[in-house]
Amino acid sequence: MSTTSNRRKEVNEIHIAPLIKWLLLAFIVGSCGLLFVYVKNQQHFLGARTREVELLTKEVIAQNEVLLARISALSSRTELQRKLEKGMIALQPIQDHSIARLVPPTMSTGPDEVIRTAANERFRP
Amino acid sequence: MAKRRAAIVCAFLALIFTGFSARLIYLQVGKHEEYTALAASKHSIRLTVPARRGMILDRSGEVLAASMPVRKVIIDGSHIKDPVATAKVAAPFLGIDEETLAKELSTSSKYKVVMQVLPEDKAVACKKALDEKSLPGLYFYANSVRTYPNGSVLSHVLGFLSRKNPEDDHLVGVDGVERAYDAYLSGEDGYRHIERDRTGREIVVYRGQEQAPKHGMNVQLTIDMGIQSILESELDSAFKELKPQTAIGIIVNPKTGEVIAMANRPNFDLNDLNTAEPAAMKNRSILDMVEPGSTFKIVVASGALNEHTVTEKTQIFCENGRFSYGGRILRDHHGYGQMTLHDILVKSSNIGSAKMALMMGDEKYYEYVRRFGFGEKTGLGLPGEIPGLVHPPHRWDKLTITRMAMGHSVAVTPLQIVMAMSVIANGGKLMHPQIVKSIKDGDGKEVAHFAPEVVREVVPKAVADYVRDSLIGVVAKGGTATLASVNGYTVAGKTGTAQKVDPKGGYAEGKYVVSFVGFMPAEDPQFVCLIMVDDAKISPGLNYGGLVAAPIFSRVAEKAARYLDLVPSPDAKSILPVAALQGDDDDRTYQQ
Repeated sequence: MSTTSNRRKEVNEIHIAPLIKWLLLAFIVGSCGLLFVYVKNQQHFLGARTREVELLTKEVIAQNEVLLARISALSSRTELQRKLEKGMIALQPIQDHSIARLVPPTMSTGPDEVIRTAANERFRP
Repeated sequence: MAKRRAAIVCAFLALIFTGFSARLIYLQVGKHEEYTALAASKHSIRLTVPARRGMILDRSGEVLAASMPVRKVIIDGSHIKDPVATAKVAAPFLGIDEETLAKELSTSSKYKVVMQVLPEDKAVACKKALDEKSLPGLYFYANSVRTYPNGSVLSHVLGFLSRKNPEDDHLVGVDGVERAYDAYLSGEDGYRHIERDRTGREIVVYRGQEQAPKHGMNVQLTIDMGIQSILESELDSAFKELKPQTAIGIIVNPKTGEVIAMANRPNFDLNDLNTAEPAAMKNRSILDMVEPGSTFKIVVASGALNEHTVTEKTQIFCENGRFSYGGRILRDHHGYGQMTLHDILVKSSNIGSAKMALMMGDEKYYEYVRRFGFGEKTGLGLPGEIPGLVHPPHRWDKLTITRMAMGHSVAVTPLQIVMAMSVIANGGKLMHPQIVKSIKDGDGKEVAHFAPEVVREVVPKAVADYVRDSLIGVVAKGGTATLASVNGYTVAGKTGTAQKVDPKGGYAEGKYVVSFVGFMPAEDPQFVCLIMVDDAKISPGLNYGGLVAAPIFSRVAEKAARYLDLVPSPDAKSILPVAALQGDDDDRTYQQ
């Protein structure tokens, strides 16, 4: 009696179709997971970058405001007067022929017959 | 037996897990709110995004006050790894010596302020240097300081800021425009809900609700810095030469009520408040009460003329300089006989003014005093303005009306005097004084505009014009204020010389408040200017409004005319000011 002929051939068949199905599913799930992690990382990276740009913008705005304040201080009337007194700048009188008057000048009937007015500097108490 | 044991173990395990479950339910449900809040407080915070304070500008857009970003330097002791190394890097930027800074850095405190104000550029450089060497623990928080490019110029009008609470960085206006328009200037802080990781860095993806800050508006004043500088520089000169207790100058556009310039001496530097004396910080133009002296005579002149108590031709006998009334003698500097209203103003006769007031009667005269705006706040809009002191007739004694007519027994603010003179200059209307022209947002778009406002018509134009013509005589040859004249222009004005009130009672001997209030060009006034000098250190024989305040007015008006490019008056008479120095006429009012 042959034992081998009666023996049932026990083979674990590989079912390709479900295997592919499950592998695909695992791949998709895995990819989704990895994608999620990648996107999340990208989000954090971009968030950090956004923050950096925001800080940079803030710094530039702050520096701009500092410069504006300095320009205001350096070009203020008080500062210009100080520079004028120290001789750092000078006032150049505009020649009469260079003035375009919107209102025609009226001659004064004063003794000097000039358009300009005269201060009473001599009579300070 | 075995089954029983198994049952006991199972029951025991069930009990344990029931306990765990109960605890879990308690934590997750019962304590949900508490632990959510605790977790949120650890990681998520409400970050305030501060609003930028608006600027204050003059009428042509010149910056008078602006905010400048700076940084506040904070130490977190728990993050400091090497205090000595950190100090070595940071000390040059902070301007503190290394040893002192190292001591400061050796702290366990998580929040210690090292420096309130560090310039932005230094802070950025310091942070970079510390980051390069990986030295944490020193943090630079955004902060701001208010800067005033013109320092002490216009200090009383602009006002200043102060911390609301000592531990808070939030600044609020405590005086001047900074206080009066704080609601517009300060804006509204924004916020952002953020989450932080364990190192304290923001996790941007978990940003929550946020609201952008509403930055403060820019306030544009009616002040013209060109005219303001002229006034300030002349007041400075006068303050140095005459060494008075105080000096005040105000310039107003009589047609609109716009305050073009306002200055007081002593003053203070807005960028250095620590050195400011409290007395120097007072805006005396609206906070000081003075007896106006003869400048007040315009009230009785206008009232008497308008009520037909007198006409242009009425002759009033001025008692040759001594008028006995109510048991007291009222004097003029010179003895005058019959005088018209014009002459009374030109010669500044106390007796003539007193007689006109008597002819008007208490009630009528009081009505005109009030109609000219005395005894009530002008409504300029700056904090602390006072209404002055004008008693109603039922509180007067017999002499009050005669004293009030020449500017005594009444207390007014310098601004009230200017606004009253503006009534004469603009043809009889009392204007509402304005210091703010408009309010603009950051893009320059006008949010609010303040138009000129007439409070009331005090006298008809004809009456105002007649008084104006008399006031031209005050500055003309033979008047009390020839030194106020400006060659090429017709000036109208009135001098005032009042004895100073002694705080102990009565009047201080030899101390005077002298003033001149005038406008120019008289035929089409572009500005009204008041110069008031309190207790000038000058010989009593020269301490008159016409000799002290009028020349200052003349210098201011002359420069202002040139700055404004005013067309000279066609019929302006040139006056030789030297004639007035002989002191033929004065306006001093005497208390007997």
